[in-house]
Amino acid sequence: MLAALIGGFVIIVLGVVDQTIAFSAIDWNVIFFLIGMMLTISVMRETGMFMYIAIKTAKIAKGSPLKIMALMFMATALISAILGSVTTIMILIPIVLLISEELKITPVPFIITMVVASNMGGAATMIGDPPNILIAGATKFTFVDFVLNLTPIILIIVAFSLGLIWLLYRGKMRVSNERRAKIMEYNDKNLITNHKLLWITLSVVGLMLLAFIFQKPLHLENATIAMAAGLILVFVGSRKKVETIILNDIDWITIFFFIGLFMIVEGLVHTGFIDLLAQGVISVTNGEPKTTSMVILWLSGIFSAFVDNIPFVAAMIPMIERIGEVITDPVQIKPLWWALSLGTCLGGNGTLVGASANIVAVGIANRNGYKISFMDYTKIGVLFALESVILSSLYIWIRY
Amino acid sequence: MLLASFLEPRNILFENRVLTKEQLYQILVDRLCSQYKLPICGSKLMELILQRDEEVSPAYSTGIAIPHIRMENFNDTLIAMAFLQNPLDYNGIKVSWVVLIITDKTSSKLYLNIVAALLKLSNDKEAVADLHNTGDGHSVIQYLKKKEVEVKKDVTIADIMVQKPIAVHPENTLRELINLMCMYRVAGMPVVDATGKYIGEVNVLNLLKVGIPDFVMMLDDLSFLASYEPLENLLEKQDLLLVNDIMATDEKTLSPETSIIEAVFLMFTNKKRYLSVVKEGKLVGLVTAMDILTKVIAV
Repeated sequence: MLAALIGGFVIIVLGVVDQTIAFSAIDWNVIFFLIGMMLTISVMRETGMFMYIAIKTAKIAKGSPLKIMALMFMATALISAILGSVTTIMILIPIVLLISEELKITPVPFIITMVVASNMGGAATMIGDPPNILIAGATKFTFVDFVLNLTPIILIIVAFSLGLIWLLYRGKMRVSNERRAKIMEYNDKNLITNHKLLWITLSVVGLMLLAFIFQKPLHLENATIAMAAGLILVFVGSRKKVETIILNDIDWITIFFFIGLFMIVEGLVHTGFIDLLAQGVISVTNGEPKTTSMVILWLSGIFSAFVDNIPFVAAMIPMIERIGEVITDPVQIKPLWWALSLGTCLGGNGTLVGASANIVAVGIANRNGYKISFMDYTKIGVLFALESVILSSLYIWIRY
Repeated sequence: MLLASFLEPRNILFENRVLTKEQLYQILVDRLCSQYKLPICGSKLMELILQRDEEVSPAYSTGIAIPHIRMENFNDTLIAMAFLQNPLDYNGIKVSWVVLIITDKTSSKLYLNIVAALLKLSNDKEAVADLHNTGDGHSVIQYLKKKEVEVKKDVTIADIMVQKPIAVHPENTLRELINLMCMYRVAGMPVVDATGKYIGEVNVLNLLKVGIPDFVMMLDDLSFLASYEPLENLLEKQDLLLVNDIMATDEKTLSPETSIIEAVFLMFTNKKRYLSVVKEGKLVGLVTAMDILTKVIAV
């Protein structure tokens, strides 16, 4: 965060861009969208619905490790599509650590597959992962566009991934009946205590989704919708103090990271670095849309496996805008954006350092005495990353 | 301010007779009432003193008893004292020096400082013996003047802290810590090394945390879990882990000169009900919120 913020002001001090231009590059639609979602998520979390889903999932699996893994994979993907990967991981990894401790099996395979699922789920919707939020901010794509173009391929990828899990882990985890019974004893009745809050929250979130679906006729921007939902929930529904939520539940580090990032990218655009990159890509593909999509998909996938995907997407966005000056047909430029989204989100699964969720999850595991090395993660993660980028290539190639 | 400045020779008695507590109090009360116009006097005052004695024993282990009464609308502080040849028994404590203090409802600080000065003096065995040997009020006052026994203007932590509190060493096992906590019924204590140097603190929550891993603390809600083995089996680790493994080393400490208000302020800002008192790196005392309540406010 600090690096991004310092970088943002260094480019002003050095005179790369002046302050007015740097500040105008900050996409307030993205910033307030993030804040609005963070408020919404904070109240959703307070209802206990996510804990309920997680505990219920373990019980439905009847304590069988492979079933828990498969169901947790799906639950993680589903929740990530709403909360984003990092928040989901922070809620679910502690639960899976508890479950595996009770079952007396290692949690490492669960953690790795759930990280993979979180990055996949986050790619499925506009509100899931930061790359999509950035792309939505830069383009005219609506919530529905994301659902129509990204959700289908993610569903396919999740289905194939479940097959991969079966191939990798079947018959490898044994649990005694006594241990299994402990999971079945979990009492999920008390997890949702405030039913009124739950219904208010679900209604407001439902209305928010409706507003996203009809945002064009309603003439509402993402930030307005998210902030409206977040503020209503915080004021109407929350038992906690408003100040506490604003202070603790809004991730200001992320917000300032984004602000700094927007300024830096503006600096890169002004130096002509982005132009150079765009020309490079076009010279390789001759501006042919399908080939360009493939190049962007694989380039993003490979890059995102090693560097943080948020700054990468932030830099790629102006590049695709430049390419858009060559490929002028809006129908042909579309798949480039989807390729960018899928490449960055799914490529992040490739190595331990590929995405924030990976680092957060491994951090939690390490703190609890389960060491997951770079190779431990990567040898599993790269399989899922390859599987999903290959499926994405086929999808983009066939569909667009 | 010197303690001697608050005393008058005629209010300092030397008593050779065998008296009861009540008889002695009556003599002291009569002394004061004959000279000063008090809002409450005579048998009413006696009643108040005895009632107060019932509530809180005025006797200290150093052999001094300091009964006191605070009156409304009495803008003065009076002291009468008696040195006894035949000690009085205050529930097992032998008292040979009784000091009656009558003061205003509002002047608790001065009262506390006089008590602090008297207690300090009563700790000095030689000085107490000297005082007994003086034989008359004038000499007592002269002696105190010469010794420069001061009444401090302000109460500090040093006046109310528990001196030489129970403490553990970092190399003690959790079993030893648990035994100490149970024996003294305390929820926390300072940690010191062999030379008495303050190192940190350890409390019952640090201890219970041994049975709760980090990831459990990250959960939003634990209501689904009826029992948790690692917590219930905490005692399995009591010989394996040392105080050093669980103690906190970044706790706020006080110096003996800290004021009462600052100590209360630090209790709030650090969300703690007790603080260790450290002087030149060594642990010298411990002060609890209850000490402040019972020794400063509800006196």
